Amino acid sequence: MTVADRVAEVTRGGRETPRVALLLGGLVLLAVTAVLSVGVGAHAVPPTEVVRALFDPRGTDDHVIVRDVRLPRALLAVAVGAALAAAGALIQTLARNPLAEPGVLGVTAGAGFAVTVGSALGLAGAQTGQLVFAVAGSVLAALLVMAVGRRSPLRLVLTGVALTAVLNGIALGLRLMLPDTFDAYRFWSVGTLAGREQAPLAVPLTAIVLSLAGALLLSRPLNALALGESVAQTLGAGVARTRTAALVLITVLSGAATAVAGPILFVGLIVPHLVRRIAAGSVPWLLLYSMVLGPVLLLAADIGSRVLLPTGEVPVAIVTAFLGGPALIWAVRRYGAGSL
Amino acid sequence: MLAHRSAALAGALALALALTACGSSSDDADTAGGSGEKGGTRVFTADNGKVTIPARPERVVATGYAVPALIEGDAPLVGISSWQRGEPLLSDEDLATYKKLTKVAGESAAETNYEAIAEAEPDLIVLGVPTPVLGDIDMDRLKSIAPVVAVGPTVPSQWREVSRKHADAAGVLASHEADKAAYEAKAAELRKKYQGVLSGLEFGHIGAYGDTSKGTFQREFGGSWGTSVAQDVGAAYYGKVKKAGPGSQSVSEYPSVEELSDSLGEADAITYSVNPDGSVPESVKYAMESKLWKNLPAVKDGRTFPIAYTEAATYQDAMKTLDAIDTSFAPLLDR
Repeated sequence: MTVADRVAEVTRGGRETPRVALLLGGLVLLAVTAVLSVGVGAHAVPPTEVVRALFDPRGTDDHVIVRDVRLPRALLAVAVGAALAAAGALIQTLARNPLAEPGVLGVTAGAGFAVTVGSALGLAGAQTGQLVFAVAGSVLAALLVMAVGRRSPLRLVLTGVALTAVLNGIALGLRLMLPDTFDAYRFWSVGTLAGREQAPLAVPLTAIVLSLAGALLLSRPLNALALGESVAQTLGAGVARTRTAALVLITVLSGAATAVAGPILFVGLIVPHLVRRIAAGSVPWLLLYSMVLGPVLLLAADIGSRVLLPTGEVPVAIVTAFLGGPALIWAVRRYGAGSL
Repeated sequence: MLAHRSAALAGALALALALTACGSSSDDADTAGGSGEKGGTRVFTADNGKVTIPARPERVVATGYAVPALIEGDAPLVGISSWQRGEPLLSDEDLATYKKLTKVAGESAAETNYEAIAEAEPDLIVLGVPTPVLGDIDMDRLKSIAPVVAVGPTVPSQWREVSRKHADAAGVLASHEADKAAYEAKAAELRKKYQGVLSGLEFGHIGAYGDTSKGTFQREFGGSWGTSVAQDVGAAYYGKVKKAGPGSQSVSEYPSVEELSDSLGEADAITYSVNPDGSVPESVKYAMESKLWKNLPAVKDGRTFPIAYTEAATYQDAMKTLDAIDTSFAPLLDR
C-alpha cells in the first residue's frame, strides 16, 4: 500500500462492508469462546446448569462456580486480552516498529521490579499488595521512558529497552540475594487468570475500559501519524499531543493488565500482526480487531490452560506463548509483517 | 510476619519437592543407631548408610530438621543451619540459643558453607534433610571434616521418628524421650477430654500451602502437617488423595477452588492451618472467602477450627500444636 493509498484510506474510509462483517464474525467468535470459558473447569457443570446459573441463579455450588469463579475469570480474560492487544497495536503504530510490544515502554519490567521490591519489604505478599506495587512500578517506568524518549519513536524504544534491562538486572539481583523474595515473585512472574476472582479488580478494569474507549477516540489522529509526522501535520493531526496521549493509554492499558494478571507478553505482540492485513492500513480497524481478537486469544488460551494437563492448570502466559509463537510465525510467513 | 510466611512457604515447597522424590525410601527409624559401640565410636544407621560416629559427640553441627531437635535436646552444638520456619515454635530460651549459634548454612542445602563448618571443628555433622536434597551437598567434602549422618522425613508425620534419630545420633536421646513422654501424656489427656465430642466426626483439613495464583487450595489428609497432631488428639480425617504420589503427595493434594465442595462437602468438621499469631495465611483465606466455602455443611454448622503451629517437627514443638488444638476445639465442649 502506497502513501497515496493510505492517505485516501485516512481521508475516505472504504471497504467498510467486509470489515464490518469480519468484525461481527470476530464478535461471534468472542461470544463462543466466552461461553466455553464459563462452561469448562475443574468441576463438571452441565450446560443446562451453566445457562441457569447465568440467567436464573439459585446459589447452588454449580451456580456459584459459574457466577463467582468462572464468569469473573472470563471477564478478566476479555479485559486483559483487549488491553494488551490494543496496547500492542498502539505501540507498534506509534513506534512504527513491528517488533514493538507493550513491554517496550518498560511497563512489565517496572511492574516486576516493583513487585520484587515490595516482596523484599514484606509488603507484596497478598494479591492487593502485588497489584498496587505492579501498578506503581509500571506507571513510574513508563513515565521515565516517556520523559526521556517521547520526542522520537526510536529513542522511545531504545530508552524502554535500556530501562527494562536495568530494572530486570536489579530485580534479578535482589531475588538472588533474597530467597524469600524470589519465592514470592515466582508466583507473580508467570501471568495467569486463575485465582483472581477475589482480587480488587474494579479500579484496574475501569481504567482498562476507559483507556480502550480513549484508544478508539485517538485512532483517527493515529491513522494520520502512522503515515509519518510530516503527512500527519499536513492532515492537521496534533503530532505531539497524539503521541503523548497514545503513550499514556499504552501505559494504563498494559500496566493495568500486567497488574491484574501478571506478565503475559505475547498477546500485545502477536494480535496486531494477526489482524493487520484485514485492517488494511486503517488504525481504527486495527484497534477494533485487536480489541476483539485479543480477548479471543486469551480466552482460548485460558480454556487450554485448564484442560491441557490432567495434573492441573498451566499458567495462561505459558499457553499464550505456546499458541502465539507458531501463530506469529504462520502469520509472518503467510502475510509478511504487514504495513505499519 | 510476611517474611516468616514466605520463608515457611519456601521451606515447605522445597520439602514437598524433596519428599516427592524420596517417598520410596525405607523407614528404618526403629533400627537406627545404638549398635556396635567400640572404643568411643558406634555404627549409626542413617539415610546415607551405616556411619561410624562418636559414641558421645562433643561438637555437633546440625542442619534442617536436626536444628530444632538438637537445640531442644541441649546437644553440644557448634554450628547450625538457618531454620526460620521453626523460630515461632522455639521457646524463648531455645530461640536465644538458636540466634547465638554460628550459622554454617542457609535455609536450603545449596547454601551450605563448608569453610564455616570446617572452622567449627565438629566431631559429628547431622543433616536433617530428605535424601534427594543430599544431591545439593558435597558429601565428600563434609565427610572430610567429620562423620556425616543424614536423616530426613519421607512423609510429614515422620518428624517423630526423624527427630528421635537426630537426638540419638547427637547423644541426647534421653531428653528426646522425656519430651516424647510429655507430648504423649498431654495428647492422651486431650484425647480423653474431647473423646465425647470428636467421636463420629469426620474431619477435613485445609493447609497453608495452596497456590492462589493457580486458583488452588491445599487439601491435607491424615498423616500430613496439619493433621497428624490433631489425629493424636482423636480427630479422624477422612478421605485420601485422588492420585497418590510419593512422599507428601500421598497425604495432600492441590485441587482447584471449584472443587471445594467435592473435596470437603462430606466433612462434618474442617480444620485449617493458621500462622503462629493466629492470622490466616493468604492461601487459606482464598478458600475461606469463596462462596463455595460458605456452602459447605461443616461451615454452615459452625464446625471450623483453626490450628496454629502445624509445622511442628519435634515433640517440644508439637506441645504448642496441642495447646493450639485444645484452644480451637474447646467450643465443641459447649455445644
